[in-house]
Amino acid sequence: MVSEDKRQEILNKLKEGVVNLDEERVKKASHEALDNGLHAYDAIMNGLAAGMEKVGELYDRQEYFVPEMLIAADALYAGLDILKPHVKQEDTGVKGQVVIGTVQGDVHDIGKNLVKMMFEIGGFTVHDLGRDVPLEKFVEEQIKTDAEIVALSAMMTTTMMGMKKVVQMIKEKNPHVKIMLGGAPLTRDVAALFGADGYAESAGNALQEAIKMIAQLRKLGESRKG
Amino acid sequence: MIPKERVMKLFKKEPIDRMPVFSGQGMVVLPAIAACGLRFPEIHLTAENMADTALKTAEMFGFDGIVVPYDMCTIPEAVGLEISLYQESQEILYPTIPYKWKTPEEVVIPEDILQKGRMPVVSKAIQMIKGKVGDRLALGSWTLGPFTLAGQLLELDILLKMTMKERARIEGLLDRLTDLIIRVGNLYFDLGVDFMSLREMGTGTDILSPRVFKSVIQPRLIRILQAWRSPKVLHICGATDLIIEMMNECGADAISVDQKNHLDQTRKKLGNGVVLLGNFDPYNTLCVAEPETVEGIIKTCIDAGADAVWPGCDIWPAVKEENLKAYIDTIMKYGRFPTPAVGRI
Repeated sequence: MVSEDKRQEILNKLKEGVVNLDEERVKKASHEALDNGLHAYDAIMNGLAAGMEKVGELYDRQEYFVPEMLIAADALYAGLDILKPHVKQEDTGVKGQVVIGTVQGDVHDIGKNLVKMMFEIGGFTVHDLGRDVPLEKFVEEQIKTDAEIVALSAMMTTTMMGMKKVVQMIKEKNPHVKIMLGGAPLTRDVAALFGADGYAESAGNALQEAIKMIAQLRKLGESRKG
Repeated sequence: MIPKERVMKLFKKEPIDRMPVFSGQGMVVLPAIAACGLRFPEIHLTAENMADTALKTAEMFGFDGIVVPYDMCTIPEAVGLEISLYQESQEILYPTIPYKWKTPEEVVIPEDILQKGRMPVVSKAIQMIKGKVGDRLALGSWTLGPFTLAGQLLELDILLKMTMKERARIEGLLDRLTDLIIRVGNLYFDLGVDFMSLREMGTGTDILSPRVFKSVIQPRLIRILQAWRSPKVLHICGATDLIIEMMNECGADAISVDQKNHLDQTRKKLGNGVVLLGNFDPYNTLCVAEPETVEGIIKTCIDAGADAVWPGCDIWPAVKEENLKAYIDTIMKYGRFPTPAVGRI
């Protein structure tokens, strides 16, 4: 059983590795976590994801920008690859599926990939349809997987309109599915107009929204254990 | 005053009769496309389709200017990437690039690039438009800036990460693209284009740091704008408040920004000697908003100090006609008054 001091030390190494964009440090700390008997889910959520929360804050304060976020995400994935195989399902406290993709006509997927990563950290099963996804494919995939959430991304004003149709198509078939829209041209008003349940404006904001969701999941997971 | 004269004098900061109604970004709209008997995907395919729809839009709505081409894939296609044209679709789907290169070294620019892909289509469309309305309407064209163009050729996450981790490799590519952009811009001027816009939309501070803008982006924008003839516009979408002074140092005759820029503060920072263009949200204003609210939106841009009220990006083609007319009517109504950089006769 690892001591609390040792646990915090390793969690800090994981977190600082992500914040400092240091993939090697994250890998080393991930192995150290496993070698010292930390729960893998604890290391992911309170080390790696906590680091990404900090990265999101730095983006919000305009100290970090999109290149830094992408490199931090690479560092996080380096740790996730090592730790995820050791996560016990009962640790996560979260079960759920997300269908995610960039709407037809749009090939920008950075924000979508960052949001996907956060869902994966949170223990969701992510069905990534990729980019330039025909609208009906979102509906088909949601029906096929019975996913609780469908997350749509568009980076250009010229592709945003497809989202409205997907929201309508999905809600007609299953009104309980939660739909999150993201992308630079959207506004909260437009997302609401389209009938969405959630909204994020840019890669950084998408990350913030997903991080908030994961933070809520972390608290939910902790309260269930308590 | 004929429309072309109005636009050209605006760029020279000479007095005009009223604010012109024009843009440097896409201005083609569905009513005009339908009137030409075409579907949206068809307008990118031939010079005739491109020219006819551009002319029809200007004619139907009384614009002072015309802009071609419409899509951002003409140069990437000519360099050698496959593009999706969505030719069978009934929807408004602009061409896209499904798969991009993964390393800068894979991007090889053919010497005869100006004859590749749809580059000749664009050149011919320019000449056709020039032939029909060249003395009356202002003809604009544009290219992407080198960084945004690099993002059309390389996978974007790779480009952005390499900007931090392998700067020299990216800078080599950016320099080659800078040379290409200079060639394309001056070709279009040779063919009769009246003004060029350099659209470097991938470089606002919602994506890159001001430090990277200064060291990587700005030197190349300066080189292009020095090499291009005038008049030329520098347009960057997204968060530009923190880089607006650096944008103004690039050597354009006018600066264009989108709705994320606080135009009134930009005007204060840059002073009354700079031609500022912008900056309403085209989708919300022309496609979504109630028509009676459009006047207030456009007037806000005028009050903020715009010398011409440009949309912040391409006009989404599915405009509400009454909104488009309200935009134009507002300019007719309030555009009689002088703007900070451009007086009135």
